Amino acid sequence: MTARAAVGAAFALLVVLLWWPASTAAQPAKPDNCAACHVRIGDARLKQPAKDYAEDIHRANGFGCVACHGGDETEAGLEAMNPAKGYIGKPGRKQVVQVCGRCHSDAAFMKRYNPALRVDQVTEYATSVHGRRLRDADDPKVATCVSCHPAHSIRPPSDSKSSVHPLRVADTCGRCHADGKYMEGRRVRTDQLAKYQKSVHWKAMSVKGDLSAPTCNDCHGNHGASPPGVTWVGNVCGQCHTVMADLFRKSVHAKAFIEMGTPGCATCHDNHAIREPSDAMLGLGTGAVCATCHAANDKGGQTAVEMRALIDSLAARNDKARTILGQAEHAGMEVSQAQFDLNGAKDALVKARAAVHAFTIDAVKKETEPGLAISDKAYARGVRALDELRFRRRGLGVSLVIILAVIGGLVLKIRQVDRRRTVEADHE
Amino acid sequence: MNKETGMAYALDEASTRRRFINWFLGTSAGAFMVAVLYPVSRYLVPPEVGESTAGTVTLAIKPDDVKPNTGQIFKFGSRPGILVRTAAGELRAFSAVCTHLNCTVQYRPDISHIWCACHNGHYDLNGKNVEGPPPRPLDTFVVNARGNQIVVSKGA
Repeated sequence: MTARAAVGAAFALLVVLLWWPASTAAQPAKPDNCAACHVRIGDARLKQPAKDYAEDIHRANGFGCVACHGGDETEAGLEAMNPAKGYIGKPGRKQVVQVCGRCHSDAAFMKRYNPALRVDQVTEYATSVHGRRLRDADDPKVATCVSCHPAHSIRPPSDSKSSVHPLRVADTCGRCHADGKYMEGRRVRTDQLAKYQKSVHWKAMSVKGDLSAPTCNDCHGNHGASPPGVTWVGNVCGQCHTVMADLFRKSVHAKAFIEMGTPGCATCHDNHAIREPSDAMLGLGTGAVCATCHAANDKGGQTAVEMRALIDSLAARNDKARTILGQAEHAGMEVSQAQFDLNGAKDALVKARAAVHAFTIDAVKKETEPGLAISDKAYARGVRALDELRFRRRGLGVSLVIILAVIGGLVLKIRQVDRRRTVEADHE
Repeated sequence: MNKETGMAYALDEASTRRRFINWFLGTSAGAFMVAVLYPVSRYLVPPEVGESTAGTVTLAIKPDDVKPNTGQIFKFGSRPGILVRTAAGELRAFSAVCTHLNCTVQYRPDISHIWCACHNGHYDLNGKNVEGPPPRPLDTFVVNARGNQIVVSKGA
């Protein structure tokens, strides 16, 4: 074939590919002979896809079987599956990406159905570990489009039954990644799903109902799924945890962790099993992550211990003030202004915990000092309120004793008068 | 009935009546003491009470003092609220407690957002969480400007 002929063939192919989606897709009025036959077939392998497809989003948008499989749905019988009419049967693994991409990479075409939908899935997929292994090693096990979006029953991510709904993404990825047998012979671990389901992120999503909490694709990408590199883990976490990421980026640890080859945020917080952070993680005590690298006799260890002491001190004094104000409130004293002002100490505590990511005592002290001043002032107001309460109670007790004494005196006086009258009456 | 029997009956009747009156006065005094001492005991040992459910506050801010594209924190019971006047002049109020970790939010005139300094959480002027870690919108209050007063109340 000459070069000119090759260019001509390629151009013809391009024209066909560009023309195909618009011509074969979205033809709802045509009779669907494919489904008519397939649902009657006894073989479940051929019957089930036709049944499932009834609820697929593509069916809802008017796409028939031929949109992906080619052929002619107006023909009854086997003629519908004539390769001469574009029938391709079940697309192969590499072919699946091309078939989906034919429409999903066509911005002009997709605008007619969902203008907000991205059209870079195929490009992204090519950068993913899945896409690269499919392309370079023809790996028969890596995910293609239909591994995550089950062919014939594709639903939008907003549909709670969808395999890519936020609550189901982890299970979808875990179908392969948590299956030790399926993943056998690969370097990638298979404990990610189990770890993730113990994490604070999964708890936020599944227990607290926060669907914006991260799941697999938020850190790894979806179509371009790959592990975040050691140098840019902080960028990934920093999408949501901006304050901590900014402080960390400027800290001594940012460079040190890269040099050590440890993965930024995940060095202390883990990656999949990210636990709920607590003050116990700071310092050199039990459960302290700083103790992994630092000891009491190095500067980092001393800084960690001092930062922990500052935070513990603010937490304790904030609790003490809140407790005494709570006692005064329950006793009926008006302390709402003091409680309102004490909110500032809690803000300071939250900010101090974030400031830990600067890994300097000054950064933490800058937040704890105003918090301590607020806590102490609120505590003093609580003490005054309880003093006032005791004074009122003493006053009530004293007045009660006086009232009871007066009542007792009156009773005695009445008896005395009655007795005198009885004696006088007896004399008469 | 002879005369002695009649007198004994009359004495018995008088004694019964006196006992009844004594019992009546005694229980009345007891009831009185209970009525006095019970409230005193409840004052001295108060029951556990939850957060104040007061649903309305009148602010010490005049409507004219809140300029467009500004916001002010106010006290709603013991919790903070935030009063915002949008650039278009509309008054809106929300709980000023960030839905992430309960810090007090503030108004950012440079971006017309309600903003939490603790972890850089952003809310739009409908109270909706639009950026950062807050998981849900701020609670919305109802604002009424009555003459020279601003009255904020919890929604229905």
